[in-house]
Amino acid sequence: MMRRLSVCTAILLISTMAAAEEPIIPADEFVYCTVCHGVQLMGNEVLGAPRISGMDSYYVERQLRSFKEGWRGTHAQDATGREMHPMASALTDGQIGEAAAFVEATRSEAPVSTVIGDKAAGEMFYGTCSACHGTAGEGNRELNGPPLAGRNDWYLVRQLQNFRDGVRGTHPQDVYGQQMAAAMMILSDDAAINDVVAYIVSLDL
Amino acid sequence: MNQNLTRRQLLAMVGAAGGATAIYQTGMAMGVMADTGAVARLDLKNVGASKKNVVVLGAGLSGLAVAYELERAGYDVSIIEASHRVGGRSLTLRSGDIVDEMGNRQVCEFDDHPEMFFNAGPARIPGHHRRVLNYCKELKVPLIIKGNFARNAWMQDNDHFDGKPVRVGHYVADARGFLSELLYKAIDLNRFDQPLSAEDRERLLQFATTFGDLRPGGSYAGSSRAGYDEGGFLRPAVSREPKSFEALLNSNFWRRMFDGSERPDWGDPLMEVDGGMDGIVKAFVREIASPIRTNAQVQSINLTSSGVDVVYNYKGAPQKISADYCFNCIPTHFMPGIPNNLPKDYREGLAALIPGNFMKIGLQMKKRFWEEEGIFGGATNTTQPINAIWYPSHGIHGDKGVVLGAYVLFDRVKEWDRLSPKERIRLAGECGDRIHEGYSGYIESGVSIPWGRMNHMMGCGTQWTDDVRERYFKLLQQPAGGRHFMIGDQISYHSSWQEGAFASAENALLELDQRVRAESSQTGMG
Repeated sequence: MMRRLSVCTAILLISTMAAAEEPIIPADEFVYCTVCHGVQLMGNEVLGAPRISGMDSYYVERQLRSFKEGWRGTHAQDATGREMHPMASALTDGQIGEAAAFVEATRSEAPVSTVIGDKAAGEMFYGTCSACHGTAGEGNRELNGPPLAGRNDWYLVRQLQNFRDGVRGTHPQDVYGQQMAAAMMILSDDAAINDVVAYIVSLDL
Repeated sequence: MNQNLTRRQLLAMVGAAGGATAIYQTGMAMGVMADTGAVARLDLKNVGASKKNVVVLGAGLSGLAVAYELERAGYDVSIIEASHRVGGRSLTLRSGDIVDEMGNRQVCEFDDHPEMFFNAGPARIPGHHRRVLNYCKELKVPLIIKGNFARNAWMQDNDHFDGKPVRVGHYVADARGFLSELLYKAIDLNRFDQPLSAEDRERLLQFATTFGDLRPGGSYAGSSRAGYDEGGFLRPAVSREPKSFEALLNSNFWRRMFDGSERPDWGDPLMEVDGGMDGIVKAFVREIASPIRTNAQVQSINLTSSGVDVVYNYKGAPQKISADYCFNCIPTHFMPGIPNNLPKDYREGLAALIPGNFMKIGLQMKKRFWEEEGIFGGATNTTQPINAIWYPSHGIHGDKGVVLGAYVLFDRVKEWDRLSPKERIRLAGECGDRIHEGYSGYIESGVSIPWGRMNHMMGCGTQWTDDVRERYFKLLQQPAGGRHFMIGDQISYHSSWQEGAFASAENALLELDQRVRAESSQTGMG
């Protein structure tokens, strides 16, 4: 039997979800998330909305806050970020926590790869990335590096370009974003970005 | 090389124009069924005892038409709708209605009054949209004439004519006058290498004179067609002074004016539903007995050996329907976010369609000030971000009225999307102030409907590139696995028109009917 996520069950679910594979039914206020991000937040490339199924709630919460505060999703060139910005702005602090719990509880099939790159070259670059994001792209909570495996490759490419081009990670309050922007030194051109993303999507969580 | 137009070339041009029209008409007549002109009422085979069941995804116009038709033909129908309301983009806003914009939920604060409504989606019905009209006639939906092109409305451009509005009729009369004068002079000079015959020449001069209202000798010096500056009833009429041809040419109005008023879809007289365009939606809902579930969001669509399985969430629990056939008018751009096992090329086709974007603003005005300017219905065009102002054709001489305060298309919507609903109303008011004195002061309340940001819509006016049309249109018109029909204005050559939705529904129903008839003749039933 599937369950509807409420504030209380959300907290329960976080701890039990690892074993459960049942689809989560979003609370009414989070149906909005599924409109662009798809059923179980599986992602929708046509709308530029990435797969966020099962994403760590701490990271989702941080990003929602970042969108809400305008640290992210306000740059003129960040078209999709600007679409997300009002969605996060409409959430209360409490709802941000609930939304993050909902996101973490969702499950969907791993995305198909769309980016063409040189995996071997990407692996070399990834050595640096793995310090914070884990050798298997599993993320590192202590170092605030979110998991990368399981994300849409086209989305990773776009975000890396955004970090590189000063579209993301430039706001003084966005401490972790700034760290990432600084790390982009090693990935200056689009080919390098495609290579490293091609390697990341080959990692199996 | 001789730069002059030869007589032969001139006549060839006229011939070519006539030929193109002829080819167009022949082309339209070549379809298997009538696509334009009289459209016959659907006559679907009644499935009676075989009790075929159908699930309709989306309660937009195409979904409602399918449900209505199939119910009449004896099918068991269920309708699943993701949003809180029925009608899709056929949305008429009235007092207290919710505008479910993503991140910007608004409530319509118009007066609770039968004339205070705003058609936020479709608003115009041309006389050749026969399917819409057939349904209106059959379902007794009352129609009234809607003005669209109005000579007394305005053209306004911040960069030309000192930013002051010019009457549409004035602009049109001057444009035709200047063009005709040029033609007249060219004929008069008669510098063709083969001179025109005296008869041809005389006819062309007469044509130019009549087309542009020229003075004897072929000059344009203003016309009563431009409207009067003064008099005309008790004193002699004084026509408006012609604008300068150069200013007219530079103004760029002609780009939109000659296109906007002369296309069949926009050519007067248009119609609208008396009391709001959603009268069509309400009529369908009244006639349809099948259950329509709103707030029911589809979670998966799967073709099976004998039909289609659809899972959707409803009242906090997943529900499953196994149907013989599925008619789907969910916006195509949502399909990549819904798990399904539709054929690969079919899914690729759906993902290749680009959601368009329209935005409309409706403003309740505390006074019908436009009527004091002689404007009764029709549209003003401007190069400002609002693009247009439409004046209501209903409720004439009432105390108040709802105008369309902005109609913005595609890329220009982005700058509006980013504004809050309040900021949009303010900007619309500022733009209007440059056209009508005191405009913003008349605004009592307003609603903005950016279709690219509306919940469960995220777009309007599906865009097909030529390449995508070539590769996928026919495929998407066919049922996937013989069971799943994609429908809606999105699967037509008339995206964002009600007629497109009905045409697509009709096409899918005929396809289904053919299959059902073939099946029953095979099994000897019928």
